[in-house]
Amino acid sequence: MQRHAFRHFDYGLLLLAGGLVAYGGLLIYSASLTAYPDGIAGLSHPVVKQALFAAFGLTMMAIIAWMDYRVFGQMAPALYVLAILILVVVLFLGESTFGSRRWITVGGTQIQASEVAKLLTIIALAHFLADRQRQITRVRVFLASLALAALPAALVMAEPDMGTAIIFGAIWVGMVLMAGARVQHLLVLGGFLLAAIPFAALAVLGDYQRDRIALFFNPNSDPLGGGFNILQGEISVGSGGVFGKGLTNGSQTQLDFLQTPATDYIFSVLGEELGLIGALVLLALFTALLFRTIRVASLARDQFGRLLATGIAIMILFQVFINIAVNIRLLPVTGIPLPFVSQGGSSLIMLFVALGLLQSVLLRHRQLEF
Amino acid sequence: MNPYLRPDHRERARQRDKREPPGRYHPLFTALRALVILLFGILIVQLVRLQVINSDDYAHRAEINALREVQIPAARGLILDQDGRPLVRNAARYSAAILPGDLPDRGEMGVYRQMERVTGVPMDEIERMVLAGIETNGAFDPVVIKPDIDEETALTLRELEPVTPGLKLLVEPTREYLAAPYLSHVLGYVGPISQEEYEELRGQGYLFQDYTGKSGVELTYESVLRGRPGKKLIEVDALGRELKVISERRPLDGTNLVLTIDLDLQKMVQETLQEFTAEGDSAAAIVMDTDSGDILAMVSLPGFDNNAFSGPLSNDDLAAIVEAPGKPLVNHALAERYAPGSTFKTIVGAAALQERIAYTGTTITSRGYITVENEYDPNVVTPFYDWSALGTLDFYDGIAMSSNVYFYYLAGGKADEGFPGLGEARIAKYARAFGLGAATGIDLPGESAGLVPDAQWKEETFGDPWFLGDTYNFGIGQGYLSATPLQIITAVSAIGNGGKVVRPHLLREVQDSHGNVLQRFEKSVRGIVPVEPEYLQIVKEAMHESVTRGVAQKAAVPGLEVAGKTGTAEFGPARPGSQETHGWFVGFAPYDEPEVAVVVFFQRGIGGSDAAPAGSKILDYYFHGPRLAQKPEEGE
Repeated sequence: MQRHAFRHFDYGLLLLAGGLVAYGGLLIYSASLTAYPDGIAGLSHPVVKQALFAAFGLTMMAIIAWMDYRVFGQMAPALYVLAILILVVVLFLGESTFGSRRWITVGGTQIQASEVAKLLTIIALAHFLADRQRQITRVRVFLASLALAALPAALVMAEPDMGTAIIFGAIWVGMVLMAGARVQHLLVLGGFLLAAIPFAALAVLGDYQRDRIALFFNPNSDPLGGGFNILQGEISVGSGGVFGKGLTNGSQTQLDFLQTPATDYIFSVLGEELGLIGALVLLALFTALLFRTIRVASLARDQFGRLLATGIAIMILFQVFINIAVNIRLLPVTGIPLPFVSQGGSSLIMLFVALGLLQSVLLRHRQLEF
Repeated sequence: MNPYLRPDHRERARQRDKREPPGRYHPLFTALRALVILLFGILIVQLVRLQVINSDDYAHRAEINALREVQIPAARGLILDQDGRPLVRNAARYSAAILPGDLPDRGEMGVYRQMERVTGVPMDEIERMVLAGIETNGAFDPVVIKPDIDEETALTLRELEPVTPGLKLLVEPTREYLAAPYLSHVLGYVGPISQEEYEELRGQGYLFQDYTGKSGVELTYESVLRGRPGKKLIEVDALGRELKVISERRPLDGTNLVLTIDLDLQKMVQETLQEFTAEGDSAAAIVMDTDSGDILAMVSLPGFDNNAFSGPLSNDDLAAIVEAPGKPLVNHALAERYAPGSTFKTIVGAAALQERIAYTGTTITSRGYITVENEYDPNVVTPFYDWSALGTLDFYDGIAMSSNVYFYYLAGGKADEGFPGLGEARIAKYARAFGLGAATGIDLPGESAGLVPDAQWKEETFGDPWFLGDTYNFGIGQGYLSATPLQIITAVSAIGNGGKVVRPHLLREVQDSHGNVLQRFEKSVRGIVPVEPEYLQIVKEAMHESVTRGVAQKAAVPGLEVAGKTGTAEFGPARPGSQETHGWFVGFAPYDEPEVAVVVFFQRGIGGSDAAPAGSKILDYYFHGPRLAQKPEEGE
């Protein structure tokens, strides 16, 4: 690639992502104080690990940005098979935390399968839809794309991880709309899904999910058990007020009232210690990041790149929304990390890979001009 | 026109596609940006709701979360007998339990196995109990697997507890009564605070799951025994573990009670009563210092083991105790009132002397009965019987032989012979002066006031006028009059001690845990009877003669001058052939300068043949028993 092409590299996007990771680092530090009262004193500290993951992620981003994203388009079928494969493997060999199997261990490192599968599915969907640009209006192609997204979604659902399955659904809807699918098709499908909800609630949802939904509506039915997180997250955020109690000063966070405060409930830490101001800063950062991602989609020179960027934008948007909504009791509990902010290597690295794809799309747009 | 949504314009759209790349401001991108704003807007609305509008409420809840006030229990005071022998011990009751909410997800069987190993309760039984517990109380109430485990098992559990999630050792404070089944009525027991008691006592620092004295001395001296619990405000984490103490107030341990009770005498009295009592019949006896009112022994039969209330007591167990024949939980020495029978003649006698109705030489002849003519129809004649035709009697004989006829004359008079009686009002006045008809004020709960009748009372209660026959019955301690054994011993002690009606009591002193006396019970005299000492002396001598030559001879103790009076009071509906009687004996010794008084009461018995010999044994033990017990030691 020519040197001057790098003037299209979106440093803003990188800076926003870096800002979110740094923000997350502060919160992870605070959330880990009870487990690591001495602060950062070794390589095993969560903040150090997160920084190492971020560094690795940055490298991955650079490599992928340098590569032509269309290579991934050609590899799409293989990547899709890989996605399905790891999701199947995790179901049978995965390690269980909090009642669901989400992790596989490769070479001593735990990998959250669904995080990897999400991005691979976006690539596969983008390739499939870009290849059939004018046929998406046909029911058969429409349904084929649905099947493409539904298979990994179903596997994730079986872990069980309903939140991530919903993310798959949102990605698919956004991408087919961007690809030009007929709204009527989506409406009919939506109608079917609505009609199926009662059956789904009985057949597809396990006791696990039904309990979670029931607890969402009445967490006081089991305030020390399953309802505990729901109530404590809400109390944490609410007690933070406008300005928060100050970083590392939140009683809810520091006295262990929040479970998984560095991952799924990191927003509660933020809400308690940094208040509404801190939350608005976070949302502003995400808004800017998402707008720049949408800009990538709008600038992409081909449909594959456009769909890729769209899928990534929707993925990030819905993860942010669902994660925060769970923290502030707008949605039932589901374990979804807050992008760039939550502690967790798989999520962070895959997000940087996604950033790499976005940069690659950007670097190669309107190349004919030069 | 949206080229993506209009397939019929596909060709034209393709043309345009080729001409220009999709614009940055394409409606779909705008829609996507709008979606970002919309979703984040929803989040912001909820955040404002939580963090601005309801923030104070949540801040308060966060505070409640982290701060907890816990009580530091104060050690309950001990109770000692007059020689300092401990009658109660503070103990802990251990139970093995499982907290279902803490059980590991798939490892509960491992915990059950541990539990089986320690307690011996089979695993499937444990699982069944845990499931039933979750069903009824939820996952965060401990399920007791085995109550009352021994200390060794408890120690094993305590070691396992921190490493075995879900396993719990429950510790409850409890009282172990060392003298049980002796002294159960006197000491009473401690139990979990009831809802009503909690409402009443919460202001005094009682907790919802607290313990309080339920009866006996444990109840009367609750405030002294309890001490003052300490308090500390602590910061806790989500598991309730204490992180730091924010403020603390040390507990003040309860103080110890030294009772007037003599444990050896108490045991002996109880055994003596049991000898004379049939299973299920009630009986009572009291030994009291005539001068100070110190209660040296107080027994009520049937007894119960107050340790039963220290353990888990099922409703069935409780019902069994409450409903057992003879009402074991009732202290018959003071909680129930009975017709005092001839023991009351001592008071009537004293009253008659004081009111100059009689003097020592007043002679009356008992032919075995006297008759009362009906006020309206002289042909209707009601006989009032003596227990025997005792012949001509003077005042001493009247009491010593316990002649009913003699006391019919003193109480009601004999109008046709011109013999004036005391009349119902005067008898009632003296009865009350001797302490009948009112609680003695002893430091035990549940005391009955008894009943002293008079014409006004009868009119109000039954709407009937008072008849001469009522006065006759009143004069021999029958009819409407009723009193507790405690009242009788207090009244008769007043004859012995020169007229002082004392307040009987069980507390000698209050000590701190080092044995320093904090408070000593001051003797309290409730009143002086309005009878000249010389007349009391006459009654005393008559009671002495009752033991030496009269109907109370079986109360005699060799080497001891005993004054006493028996009573055999009819109660219940008259049945052909026999009528049930209460048996009484009340007396004191030595008769000229009495030290102790004794009352013995059998709910079913005869004064002369049951109560008097029991009284004799008790007095013999009091005055000679300890000496006899020492003799073999001296011989060694």
